[in-house]
Amino acid sequence: MNTPWNYNSAPAEIILRNSTMDPDEQQQLKGWLYDIATDRDKAAFTALFSWFAPKIIRFGIQKLNTESAANELLQETMSNIWRKAHLFDGDKGQATTWVYSIMRNLSFDMLRKVRSNREDTLSDDIWPIAEAELIEDNVFDDHLMSTHILKHINTLPEAQKEIVNGLYFQDLSQEQLATKLAIPLGTVKSRLRLALVKLKQQIGESK
Amino acid sequence: MITHHPKHELLSAFVEGELPASLSAAIAVHAEMCEICAKNIQHLTEESAANFFSPDVKTYNSYSDKPASNTAATDELSYEFMIDSITEDESIAELVVQEPLEIEIKGSTYQLPTALRSMSMMGWQKMGKLSRARLNLNEGALHSSLLHIDKDGGVPSHTHKGFELTLLLEGSFEDEMGTYVKGDFIWLTDKNTHTPHTTEGCLCYTVADDALQFIQGLSKLLNPIGAFIY
Ligand SMILES: [Zn+2]
Repeated sequence: MNTPWNYNSAPAEIILRNSTMDPDEQQQLKGWLYDIATDRDKAAFTALFSWFAPKIIRFGIQKLNTESAANELLQETMSNIWRKAHLFDGDKGQATTWVYSIMRNLSFDMLRKVRSNREDTLSDDIWPIAEAELIEDNVFDDHLMSTHILKHINTLPEAQKEIVNGLYFQDLSQEQLATKLAIPLGTVKSRLRLALVKLKQQIGESK
Repeated sequence: MITHHPKHELLSAFVEGELPASLSAAIAVHAEMCEICAKNIQHLTEESAANFFSPDVKTYNSYSDKPASNTAATDELSYEFMIDSITEDESIAELVVQEPLEIEIKGSTYQLPTALRSMSMMGWQKMGKLSRARLNLNEGALHSSLLHIDKDGGVPSHTHKGFELTLLLEGSFEDEMGTYVKGDFIWLTDKNTHTPHTTEGCLCYTVADDALQFIQGLSKLLNPIGAFIY
């Protein structure tokens, strides 16, 4: 913290250096994440794990200094990926950026635990998932709202189907649905998100 | 319009998760109000991710250059175990919808920014038009507070032994160097002396690594206020 930061600084436009990531590889990572989200696909998870593990370990050792902390970071990051894959939106960014954010947040909380002896997890508030962006309002625009989407909706698990039906065919709000089904609003959002990932993928495949 | 932004070095450290919580929160709050910095943070995050996850990072640090022979096999085994234990969990993460948190001070109500929402806050201490609530982050010499200055209030001329960051959450104030508005990220060091004053009143989030030093005549008598504010 000894850098003499200037008092009045104008922000400079940051120029991106060329990423060395191969686009095919990025596509592969996205594919694995979708498979985890929609099918709880362990093979896809294993592939993703093998791809990220050495890199997460390297990051962990650099930021947290010990091998055991790096291993904990790996375990926590991969476990978050397993449980949050449905929250990843491949249209908004790369899989690497998404995984990086998860890893960085966990590393931040671990570092804070060491430096300040606090167990709070402030990273979720400092780098929140923007829910408003996550659940777009106009997901079912006209061309999606055709009859052929109906058969896809029918393939959804019951819990997701009742959310989609309630929102788009009974015109209920997310809040009304939460009350009606006696579940938290966050659960409505998660189920909707999961349903959208599945529908998008199926519609994409059948095109 | 916001004219004071965090420096590039701060944004980079923020993106890599290296800054203390107090400063990380300040940058997050600023970025919520400043599109330019939000965009730069997005770019830096993509860049960091590409750097750390590019296939050919081999030379990142000396720790990882240990001989692979004796760890490769055990790694594979423990990885298999890790994968099994992670995938046993069939639940998915639910989104948590949190209500905005409001605070009330001197008859005004303010909505706290998301980044400050979960921080444990001490009670308000009041001295004239100044009110301060310390945030209990336990970061050693770094002290973080909410500072409220009532209409037509101010802080006597002072400088800083270390640095003083003021992030304007609501309202505005002015000093010898200019006028500051909501969202301004004002970083002062021991080279800067100023006498902030507000006409409409303001709420600030402050982080400082040492008490203020009052410098002018009678103000020297006020040095206990410095310890009070930061
Ligand atoms: Zn800015």
